[in-house]
Amino acid sequence: MIKEYLGEFEELVLTLVAALQEDAYGAAIAEEIESRLKREVNFSAVHVTLYRLEDKGLIKSSFGGATKERGGRRKRIYTITSAGMAMLKAMKETRVELWKMVPQLKIS
Amino acid sequence: MENSRAIHLLRWFCPPHLLEEIEGDLLQKFEKDVENFGDRRARRRLVWNTVRYFRPGIVLRNDFDVSLNSMYMFRNYFKVASRVMVRNKSFSLINIFGLTLGLSGALLLFLWIVNEFSYDRFHADKERIYTVWNRDVHQGQIECSNHTPRVLSPTLRTEFAAVEAVASFAAWEKPYLLTHNENKLMNKDGVFVDADFLSILSFPLLKGDAASALSEPSSIVLTETLAKKLFGDKEALGEEITLKADGYTIPFTITGILHDLPANTDFRFEYLLPWRFIELNFGEDTFWGNNSVITLVKLKAGVDSEQFAVQIKDLKKKNRQEETAELFLHPITKNRLYSKFENGVQSGGRIEIIRMLGILGVCLILIACINYVNLSTARAQKRSKEVGIRKVNGAHRPSIILQFLCESVLIAILAGIVSLGIVYIALPAFGTLVQQPLGFAVADLNFWIGIAFVILFIGILAGGYPAFYLSAFNPVRILKGAPITSSGRNVLRQVLVVFQFGFAITLIVSVIVVHKQIGYVQNRDAGYAKDGLIYQPLSGDLLANYQAYKNELLSSGASLSVTKSGSPITEVWSGTTEIRWRGKDPNTKIAIERFDVDGDIVATAGLTLLEGRDISLTEYPSDSTAVLLNETAMKAMSFTEPIGEIIVDDGVEYHVVGVVKDFVLTSPYQKIAPMVLQGPAPGRNLFEIVHIKLNPNLRVQDNLKLIASLNSKYNPDFPFEYEFVDLEYKRKFADLETTLTITGIFSSMAICIACLGLLGLSTFMIESRVKEIGIRKVLGASVTGITRLLCWHSIRPISLAVLIFSPVAWWAMNWWLQSFDYRIEMSFGYIVLSALALILLAIVTVVGQTIHAAGRNPVNSLRSE
Repeated sequence: MIKEYLGEFEELVLTLVAALQEDAYGAAIAEEIESRLKREVNFSAVHVTLYRLEDKGLIKSSFGGATKERGGRRKRIYTITSAGMAMLKAMKETRVELWKMVPQLKIS
Repeated sequence: MENSRAIHLLRWFCPPHLLEEIEGDLLQKFEKDVENFGDRRARRRLVWNTVRYFRPGIVLRNDFDVSLNSMYMFRNYFKVASRVMVRNKSFSLINIFGLTLGLSGALLLFLWIVNEFSYDRFHADKERIYTVWNRDVHQGQIECSNHTPRVLSPTLRTEFAAVEAVASFAAWEKPYLLTHNENKLMNKDGVFVDADFLSILSFPLLKGDAASALSEPSSIVLTETLAKKLFGDKEALGEEITLKADGYTIPFTITGILHDLPANTDFRFEYLLPWRFIELNFGEDTFWGNNSVITLVKLKAGVDSEQFAVQIKDLKKKNRQEETAELFLHPITKNRLYSKFENGVQSGGRIEIIRMLGILGVCLILIACINYVNLSTARAQKRSKEVGIRKVNGAHRPSIILQFLCESVLIAILAGIVSLGIVYIALPAFGTLVQQPLGFAVADLNFWIGIAFVILFIGILAGGYPAFYLSAFNPVRILKGAPITSSGRNVLRQVLVVFQFGFAITLIVSVIVVHKQIGYVQNRDAGYAKDGLIYQPLSGDLLANYQAYKNELLSSGASLSVTKSGSPITEVWSGTTEIRWRGKDPNTKIAIERFDVDGDIVATAGLTLLEGRDISLTEYPSDSTAVLLNETAMKAMSFTEPIGEIIVDDGVEYHVVGVVKDFVLTSPYQKIAPMVLQGPAPGRNLFEIVHIKLNPNLRVQDNLKLIASLNSKYNPDFPFEYEFVDLEYKRKFADLETTLTITGIFSSMAICIACLGLLGLSTFMIESRVKEIGIRKVLGASVTGITRLLCWHSIRPISLAVLIFSPVAWWAMNWWLQSFDYRIEMSFGYIVLSALALILLAIVTVVGQTIHAAGRNPVNSLRSE
């Protein structure tokens, strides 16, 4: 299989989908990014990324229940697929390996 | 929140299957924002967040599919449109004819404008090519001119690294006799240039090498046509030809043949001669005060032209102490359209005319579109049932709008095709009129795409409003038979008619004013006797044999008086600001025109002496340094007793012997400049022209035959070429007469279109008031009364147009007149005359059918109900 590469933001969103589990939908992911990473994100950017990940088969989605606070609109809940999980793991491992190659600061 | 505009926007472009989720997220965010930031900021954020969904990642997720269904509908629309057109022949004709006229006019103007913009844009690296201009102060006025010293060109070449190539360009229009074996030809369109010239401007050589063609002092480059005239079909390259003038006969070798120059360049010449030749034979002209040539500069690629401009700004002052002029660069691409400078700043030029033409073209199309709008909305009632039925059958408003747009586009297409034909036929004649060969780029795909877009645009422009108006009808009301109440539409129609006729009256006023102005200037007293005066170049052996030639002209009775001069009496070839006189304020710079004359100028040209006497070398040998002033010069020099005053020019002391009444030398539109008519001072050899006053007692043909025979006696090598001064003088009006013809043509078009619209509207009005007319007649109204009533209805908006647009016309023509020193005053009479003409025309347009309608038997119109 030719390895797909993920952009930084894609990886971030994918990780959050995995982390938030049942609560992974557009607005929630955007809020997580804002509150945890202190980084301004735009909703449309999050949505576009989600759709792209879905196209790549890394996540899948289903409608959740309607709640009152959203004007009766249903949420679309995203869950990570096994392909997505594998990708995430692979990325993390390469990161760690590369990190090991960096000479660490030694206190002598 | 449901109805928030932002959400509506989102629904419009967001794919439906994503909509719910996105909407939900946005609303959730919004509610949170309301808590955090308050209502107003939250709303703003919502809009901003929503707008940012308009991105390819979202929008392109829509399903785009073209359904074949709409093709069927389109076919139906066109079918209905063509039926409607055929059923209402008169209205269709008015619309098509009006649009055709407007479009043809606009297209002609457009092609002209495009051609104007193409001038000197074909040169390779055109954005690096500049002409060098002077900026100088004359009598407190900053003035700019493009004639620079010859020495500028070599200086720029050697001292400035930024210069890639530089050339002097000197078009002195001196007639030379070109000879090859037996073929002789007088030609004055030779230009002296530096060797670099052909590598600056892209005038491609047919034969020869551009880089080296002009490097030898005895080389000459001819255009194809000139070479053909001299050599026929023989090979010209490498051949030798001789140039003859002023007693010189010099051989040149042809080192290049140029393609004939394209029409869209302002550089005109038929042969090029190298500057090296002049310098080798007459020495180098290193005087920085002699502005005699145009200097062309091509900068190296990547050079900042502004920096270079700063470097050369004070070049003249540096090289000559008393110099005050600065130098600046003017891009060659702006040479034609943007070469007017006011107070040293670039301020329009020919582009102003081009802008006016553009406006004229747009207005022509607009008034043609107004016809369509007016006629379609006026006849809305007739189409209302159709709209009702379509709506009842399920047509949405957009599809009805589309239907009516199809109709107007169809009409626009028809008009477009016809007008393309008309333009194709009229273009050569129009090109002759504007003195530019205009062409259709038939093979150019872009041209056709452009035309297609314009036609589509016109269709939408004309049909847009009627389509929205017609498609808004409420089917229930219409099908119940309720009339369309449309007082508002009526007002709109009237406003549009006012605009149409306002445009028309402006044009009529301009035609009248231009006509009057031409007449006024043509009747201006030129100050000299043009009749029976001819001039010929003083060329070849005539220079040496002048005295004998003159004597025989007089003794043979062909001529009453003969004199030679530095230029024809219809032109000024020389001017200066350097003349000094007693009591001259050293700080003022007055530009004075020079007219070098021999004796008897007053007698030959029929000038009026105000004081003193004519220059006469036979009676007063000291008259070689005599000078005549014109009235303006006398005033400029503030002489009260001018006779005997001394003026100094170019180191020569001239004594004033007389003052002549002002006469028109250059432009009859402008003020007469101060002028000195200088006698033939020794050392100054500036005579180029012989003026001959024909003997009025003999027939002109006989006179000319006699003179021609004398020419072949005294100047056998040169053909006898001459001009009549009165014809030359008339040529000064050619430009303005062209303006008059053009304004005339386009005004008639505009008036024609406007009247067509008026005709259509009044026809419709009468049609819809048939019953009213019938009832009025039954109740005793007279035919004249009804006619007056109906006519007034049509004329009213036109009177209004006259009232509103007269000041506009006044202002515009007043502005135009300001460009002439010698001009008529704008008069109320012109406006009244135009208004009367226009109203009369309008009455003629509508009165026929009005009388016809008023005369009809009321029984016929009231019988059926």
